[in-house]
Amino acid sequence: MKRSFAVVTDSTADLPEAWRERYDIEVVPLKVLFGEETFRDGVDMSNEEFFARLATSTKLPTTSAPSPGEFAELYTRLAQDHDGCISIHIGRQLSATAEAARVGAQSVEGFRVSVVDSETVTMPMAFLCRVAAECATLDEATAAVEKRIPRCRVLALLDTLRYIEMGGRVSRAQAMIGTMLDLKPLLLVVDREIKPVDRVRTRSRAIPRMVEFFVKDMPVEHVGVVHAQAPEEAEVIAADLRRRLPGLEVPVGQIGCVLGTHTGPKALGLVYIKK
Amino acid sequence: MAENKTPGVDGPLFKRALLGSLSWLSSNHEEVNRLNVFPVPDGDTGTNMLLTLQSAVEDIKESNAAEVSKIAKLASHGSLMGARGNSGVILSQIFRGFARAVEGKSSLTPAELATAFEEAANAAYRAVNKPTEGTILTVAREAGRSASAAASSPDATVPRVIAAAASGARAAVLRTPSQLQILRDAGVVDAGGFGLQIILEGMLKTVEESESSLAALSVSLPVALPASQVAVALPEEGWGYCTEFLIEGTNLDLDRIKHQIESLGNSVLVVGEPELVKVHVHTDDPTRVITLAGGYGKLLKLNVGDMSTQHRRILEGENQASAAPRPNGVGVVAVVAGRGLVDIFRGLGVDAIVEGGQTMNPSTQDMLTAIESVPYDEVILLPNNKNVILAAKQVLGLTKKNVHVIETHSVPQGVAAVVAFRGDRSGADNLAAMKAEAERVQTIEVTHAVRDTRSNGMKVKKGDVIGLINDKLEFAGTDYGEVVNKALSKLGADSYELVTVYRGEDASDDEAEKLESAIRSTHPGLEVEVQQGGQQHYPFILSVE
Repeated sequence: MKRSFAVVTDSTADLPEAWRERYDIEVVPLKVLFGEETFRDGVDMSNEEFFARLATSTKLPTTSAPSPGEFAELYTRLAQDHDGCISIHIGRQLSATAEAARVGAQSVEGFRVSVVDSETVTMPMAFLCRVAAECATLDEATAAVEKRIPRCRVLALLDTLRYIEMGGRVSRAQAMIGTMLDLKPLLLVVDREIKPVDRVRTRSRAIPRMVEFFVKDMPVEHVGVVHAQAPEEAEVIAADLRRRLPGLEVPVGQIGCVLGTHTGPKALGLVYIKK
Repeated sequence: MAENKTPGVDGPLFKRALLGSLSWLSSNHEEVNRLNVFPVPDGDTGTNMLLTLQSAVEDIKESNAAEVSKIAKLASHGSLMGARGNSGVILSQIFRGFARAVEGKSSLTPAELATAFEEAANAAYRAVNKPTEGTILTVAREAGRSASAAASSPDATVPRVIAAAASGARAAVLRTPSQLQILRDAGVVDAGGFGLQIILEGMLKTVEESESSLAALSVSLPVALPASQVAVALPEEGWGYCTEFLIEGTNLDLDRIKHQIESLGNSVLVVGEPELVKVHVHTDDPTRVITLAGGYGKLLKLNVGDMSTQHRRILEGENQASAAPRPNGVGVVAVVAGRGLVDIFRGLGVDAIVEGGQTMNPSTQDMLTAIESVPYDEVILLPNNKNVILAAKQVLGLTKKNVHVIETHSVPQGVAAVVAFRGDRSGADNLAAMKAEAERVQTIEVTHAVRDTRSNGMKVKKGDVIGLINDKLEFAGTDYGEVVNKALSKLGADSYELVTVYRGEDASDDEAEKLESAIRSTHPGLEVEVQQGGQQHYPFILSVE
């Protein structure tokens, strides 16, 4: 039975490819700008192309939110065969996307849009979309999603602090890295903040630390692994989690162009919603 | 006085004897420095002993005590506060044992003096974890035995007992190469033992010489070495003035004085004996401190310095990471030298740096001052050099703060430990994590041999590049890359991931680049990161993890 409302998110949800169809989710792309050139995240530029370009680019790309007009277009289209929609977006502290969605929704008369600021980024948003898609009504979906927002976590292991620092999201001091040393920061996105969890000198020591932290934070309702061009390591972690948590799907997602601009290559993340 | 043939050692005589030791050691400490046991240039044993002895007599110069016990107590206390390096710490324990043995005595008979020498050696043995023969310990014991033998003779006099102690020491020093392989290989006698011999000889010269020639002997003291720079987070109330003085009085109540002074400032240090108390405080109102202290007795060596200028300078450019108060209430103090390394440690959140290391061992006092300056009651101290560990451990008994020493032997161990420090984790949890991380990292130190020697079964020529793995000389050669690659292969480069190269002051850009590419081409599986360390004497220090 087809539900009456649509589910919308943006490209920073790093939605697993299969989920788009499985749960019928619309994805609005954010933008990446290399100088004058603009690319729609995951539409005009694949992740592989993006990271290849990032590696050779002398100047870091910038990112921007979709425009309210783009949201209005989508909502207008969705209004044709839905009586409303839930639009789940990257946290306001990180991007103006949710604001653009809210403004866009106002210009579509007679169509109910429930814009949700997820307060987070990457795959917890995908989990929220799934939760919404499995609800019967828009009100139910909105309540179910909002209830889970405070329980969303992103545990990110960056291979370098360089990108996130240049993007102005986190300073070295905030990441407990006030040094020249190339430390691997382990950061936690929670409560609209990016908090340092640990700092480790080598990657092979950092990955078990990340898993250790996650295990202490269990139980969880959903968990997944995201990566920026580090599929093998992500699969190893996911396999480990599937062994620990039989019955959970543990999807693996790819960090897209927009988020990748801030994480840099080889970033790994454990994304979850606590029980 | 000169003609007064008193048979005993009283306060004034012991004071003169120690001043004689100081001037004799200050003319000869370079000789002690030159006795490098190990082919790395850390020939500072003489300097360390001299600075320790200087601190031992520092307070004595102000004292007119008639009793030998009082002078000995001052020497014990002063040496402990100024002890530097292993030999310095052992010397301070010798003074401590001597002071205990003469407690309550106003003057010593020759026999009592000999017993005190023996007790001094015993105390030093007890203070060291694993006493090694062929060192200053052996020399102290032989001096005591020889003094006792002389004292048992019916015509024993004080000069004869001291003469016997000095000659016993000399004989023991000459035997040290037969006791320690490392000395035999290097073709030297033990430096610390030789230092003690010089101290005893200085005493002997004093007691044998007349008053007039003594005046000539009291030569100038060596120029003080630069004081350690201690950078700490600025406390809310500001720094004000560093106020230091001694209170001379009778039955001084240290606890009470300390309690009162604590209400007037911070970093309070009140140490000493009921007759002489040393006070150190950072206060905004030095006048009140001085007025208060003046009520207890005579103030000596009063010194008030404005610290705000100095600390503002130190704090400039300091990273914000260390500025916010820490939830766990635990501070970290590290001993480091070299501009780059100081920046790295500070950037990792260390609260106070005590400048020092291989060639400039900081004193217990330097470390104590740094610990007291940190706004936390629990402090983790990282010595970062094996020669600093013993002096660092002496701090434990000198402060009310809960201090933990993590025995980091090297800069890489120190960095590994401090990377593992977390402000939201308890002191105990931090200690466990920091120790584990420090033990995990391997250290390669690269320098040049300062003389021809043989060590660890290897012949080394002066100027050769030598590589030490975890303090042990393993490879010698002519090229940095060659020596480092051999060391990495010996460690088993395959089981490691990252090499951090801390570049020393003496390493050129070219040398650093060559070393980096040499490592990369021989061990392509390793990540290589080069950092400015700025340390002296070691062109390269490598951390392998």
